[in-house]
Amino acid sequence: MRKSQIDYILKIRLPITIFVVLVSYVIAFFVSRPERDGVGYSPNQPVAFSHKLHAGNMQIDCKYCHIGVDKGAFASVPSTDVCMNCHTIARKDKPEIIKLTQFYLDNKPIQWKRVHRLGDFAYFNHAVHVNKGIDCKYCHGEVEKMEKIQQVQRFTMGACLDCHRKPHEKMPELAGVVNKGPEFCGACHR
Amino acid sequence: MDKKYWKFFDELKNPQKTKKLKQTEFSKETTSEFNVENLYGLSRRKFMALTAASLAFATTACKDYRDKGVIVPYNQKPENTLPGKANYYASTCTGCSNHCGLLIKTREGRPIKVDGNPEHPSNKGKICPIGQARILNLYHPERYKKYFAKRNNVWQEIDFAAFFSDFVLALNSAQQQGKEIAIISKPIYSPSFARILEDFQKKYPTAKIYTYEFLQPYPKDLAWENFYPGSEKFDYDLSQASLIVSFDSNFLATEGNFVQNIRSFVSNRNVNKLDNFNKFYAFESDLTLTGANADHRIPIHPNLHIPLLSSIINEILVKHEGKLLNKDLPLSLLKEKFSKFNLDALAKDNNLNYNLLQRLVYDLVQNQGKSAIITGDILPYDAHVLGFLLNEILNNSSNFKFKSKAIIAQSKLEDFLSLTNTIKNGNVGAVIVLSCNPVFHFPLDIGFKESLSKVPFVISLLESENETANYSTHIAPISHNFESWGDFFDGYSTYSLAQPVIEPIFSTYQMESIILYAVEGKMSNDNYHKYLMRYWEKEIYPKTNSAVAFEQFWFSVLHDGVLVLNESQLTKPKPDFSVVQKINIKSFEKTWTLSVRKPYFILDGEYLNNGWLLEIPHPISKVTWDNYIAISEKDANSLNLKTGDIVQIDYQNKFLEAPVFIIPGVAEHSLSIEAGFGRENAGIIGEKVGFNPMVLLSKGIEYNGYTLDNVKITKLHRTYKIASTVEHHSLNDTFLKDLHKSRGIIQEGTVEGFLKNKFEIHRHRDNISIIPEIKYTGVKWAMAIDLNKCIGCGACIASCNVENNVPVVGKDQVLRGREMHWIRIDTYFSGSPDNPEVSLQPMLCQHCDDAPCENVCPVVATNHSPDGLNQMVYNRCVGTRYCSNNCPYKVRRFNFYDFRNHFANGFFYRDTLKLLNNPEVTVRSRGVMEKCTFCIQRITEARHNALSEGRELKGSEVKTACQEACPAEAIIFGDMHDPNSEVSFWRNHKLGYYVFEELNIKPNVTYIAKLRNKKEEGLS
Repeated sequence: MRKSQIDYILKIRLPITIFVVLVSYVIAFFVSRPERDGVGYSPNQPVAFSHKLHAGNMQIDCKYCHIGVDKGAFASVPSTDVCMNCHTIARKDKPEIIKLTQFYLDNKPIQWKRVHRLGDFAYFNHAVHVNKGIDCKYCHGEVEKMEKIQQVQRFTMGACLDCHRKPHEKMPELAGVVNKGPEFCGACHR
Repeated sequence: MDKKYWKFFDELKNPQKTKKLKQTEFSKETTSEFNVENLYGLSRRKFMALTAASLAFATTACKDYRDKGVIVPYNQKPENTLPGKANYYASTCTGCSNHCGLLIKTREGRPIKVDGNPEHPSNKGKICPIGQARILNLYHPERYKKYFAKRNNVWQEIDFAAFFSDFVLALNSAQQQGKEIAIISKPIYSPSFARILEDFQKKYPTAKIYTYEFLQPYPKDLAWENFYPGSEKFDYDLSQASLIVSFDSNFLATEGNFVQNIRSFVSNRNVNKLDNFNKFYAFESDLTLTGANADHRIPIHPNLHIPLLSSIINEILVKHEGKLLNKDLPLSLLKEKFSKFNLDALAKDNNLNYNLLQRLVYDLVQNQGKSAIITGDILPYDAHVLGFLLNEILNNSSNFKFKSKAIIAQSKLEDFLSLTNTIKNGNVGAVIVLSCNPVFHFPLDIGFKESLSKVPFVISLLESENETANYSTHIAPISHNFESWGDFFDGYSTYSLAQPVIEPIFSTYQMESIILYAVEGKMSNDNYHKYLMRYWEKEIYPKTNSAVAFEQFWFSVLHDGVLVLNESQLTKPKPDFSVVQKINIKSFEKTWTLSVRKPYFILDGEYLNNGWLLEIPHPISKVTWDNYIAISEKDANSLNLKTGDIVQIDYQNKFLEAPVFIIPGVAEHSLSIEAGFGRENAGIIGEKVGFNPMVLLSKGIEYNGYTLDNVKITKLHRTYKIASTVEHHSLNDTFLKDLHKSRGIIQEGTVEGFLKNKFEIHRHRDNISIIPEIKYTGVKWAMAIDLNKCIGCGACIASCNVENNVPVVGKDQVLRGREMHWIRIDTYFSGSPDNPEVSLQPMLCQHCDDAPCENVCPVVATNHSPDGLNQMVYNRCVGTRYCSNNCPYKVRRFNFYDFRNHFANGFFYRDTLKLLNNPEVTVRSRGVMEKCTFCIQRITEARHNALSEGRELKGSEVKTACQEACPAEAIIFGDMHDPNSEVSFWRNHKLGYYVFEELNIKPNVTYIAKLRNKKEEGLS
């Protein structure tokens, strides 16, 4: 009687329990990997633009291209004519610039691969954050060191609230400058 | 306060039966089983299988990164555009003859919202519901996109070149044969287009222009021309009138420049200026929105207007002769003419309240020079003459204001009669229809429709399909108002410009452009634009004596949308009293009459293809998607009719079958129906909507107006389902009814009672609550609705629909009580059903501080924000509907379907209609709850602007969509913590109350109790 019960536990219950625990672990592990939220995503772009060169080496201000970042909800990807401000003269012989010029001359808008994306049900506003003095890097990483743009942060509600709740822990240089961010639903969802 | 209010007949007659309806949130139909076939083709099992599969795929993680799509920036960014920032352009509405100034909001180059242009002197920033919802027609997938020609009775698609060569061929052949070219159009207010047509007539001298308006008040125009010979046409300036008396006129909703009328009417309905509170008597046969807003509304038979006016005139002439200020009256003549009319006898014979009529006469004499007598457009010639005469007797012509006049003189009905004759004689070579629908709009006995087959070329320039298209030989698509240039002149001082805000979606030309091509012989996309600028440079720019260059002047006018030149002085018109002599006043006969009225929301039937407009409930009956014959309760009982029974109307051997709807306050033996419905060719949305009373009309409208006398009504033993929302979302006033006073949903009094401190609001503002008090600091949003000003026009509903992506659900769903409007207007009646008092109340989410909906949500999808908003988080909602069940105001709406997909086979998911959505508001899917958000997207925008600029947010920066649209400015929104804000003033006003105050849920919407300017019984 007793023996059979242990037998039963060992033969049936234990493997099932181990299996369930294992499966849950595996699922939880895979689902919660940062990659699942897009961290590390770095697609090839139609024109191999280097942020490292432009923002890093040449130190062009982000706002020179991303003109909407302190004015509206969207930072905005620059229109091709912004590139052409320089590249009608600069580096005209490089293959990527020839590609770029061709897009411009054909009047064909460039279809940049989207790297950072929030859910459609969340409304984020760049201007509010940037004008408070919050650096781009807290969400977008050290763009000036990236040859090819890459997602480094999760774009989840948890990630947003992390900063909203403990801004000074995350951004020590802004202690005393910014308060806590809003936490009520309507701030982002409508 | 003990008055009993009711919304529909069952409630009055059989309160027990409606108790359940009021106590529950959902009626049985609302929650009954779905028709599974209408759902997505995805069964629960399949769904489970798919979820399991996707989970499996997800866990094995074959791919970490999903494609996130692309970002497509401009190649060359236009100046002054920034993705995510709205641009506003001034333009002009071409929906009707009022030509209101518009301010069109565009996002990323597509118009998404339209409001009035505050700079425009006529509409001052407000537009009607039609103007609000017209934007749907811009993106309407059923607009004409191609050119068509009928060859051998078969429609063929042709290109523009082929169309135009046919067009020129038609013109030339007519010209060579000396045949007439008839151009039929709506009234033309555009000076540049009038000039083009003039040039067209020079090139083709046989061309003639005919213009008309839907249900044009021919008798009224004729009466004016005869009574004031040689004078311009004027309108009443209601802001100058302290006493208004209307006779079957719906001047607040359908007649004349009603947006302006609403504004001027309510300007004297300010509870803070009670000494200047206007008084309004309405005599009418049907219960109209205008009558619903009257202080005294007297239902009378349409045939009684003329004897009544005559008796009032006689009473004034006889009893108050000495007090008359107008000394130029031919008194003896008039006295003789009206001597046989006696107000006393008339009141006695027709069961009218004699004391009330005496008071009216007294008020008229007291308010000489400050009153307005308004006769309705549907009335016959004689009534208008008498109305003008009464105005003249009372010296009211100083209250006149200019009425905009068309540049090309409007045609009379006889012009169309002679046109039909010319066609029948084969002397018309071509008919050009400019964006109108004469086949549908004219009385059948003119024979216009049949005659068209005799014309070799009938060329219709149309936006979308209509009846006239069927009788045409060629159809050309034309651009929508928002894709077109245009200029408009009111005939006196105001010029306004229309500018395109989007490239023509279907590569169409505007009609002016096509006509101009025929005149000039050369075509380009912007030929009319260039012509317009040339015209303005030559004709209008010199008039301004402007010091700046033309280009600068042009862009500044384009920016403002309107140019006001020196106002011309109004000359008092000289009456010709001999006209009165000539009219033959018939004595009153109580026969069955049917009045054909203008519809509230579809204009001339053109907007019958606009789902938004069809779904706005009728202001009185709350009927959607239909028209009906309004009948009084007494008549219905005597004919054994119930709402929905189909009757046959027989008028001079013309027949109409339509359902009846019992409306309280309709006069006996008087029926009315709204026209514009029952169109045969109105696309998917408009087909089979309503019944067409135009079949009853005849040439007689020229003199008799739109009141048809001696009709026969017969009951047919069939019924029809009318989708009325009147029983939906009825507030529960049954609770405690016998123990306590009524729950005070409507609280109202009289001006007199309020001044004598006899009227007080019943308040139940206890501070005891089981919910711990939450302290609000900073901005806290609140709304106040002034019921003295709200006239119930429905502009707020239309505006809310457009702003908040509210879907159209269709008639079948309205029948089940699933309409999705976030704001509704409740109509309450009180008193006897023969002549009830009407109280209107806009109802929307009250954003209660202790909101009952929040406590019951199991997933906290609805909760409170620190600025006092009751938030609704769609992505969190699982659709239990507990919140809706617990909402005493019944303002929460559940997406029983993905209505965009469900309505008319995914109509709202069709190509172009996606562009209509407001990108700042989530498009809700099936299974989530939604409700008014106080336009949180606008609040957030204002807060973001303040934050970006590093300043405090001010409550006055935010305007909700309903507030912005309200022509009466009855809705006030703002920060209640700001002691200087308007909303905090009204919140603490003596007349302010909350609906269901005793529930102690602390709503944030304050209603300002309505005061009626009437005598109250029992006041000393």
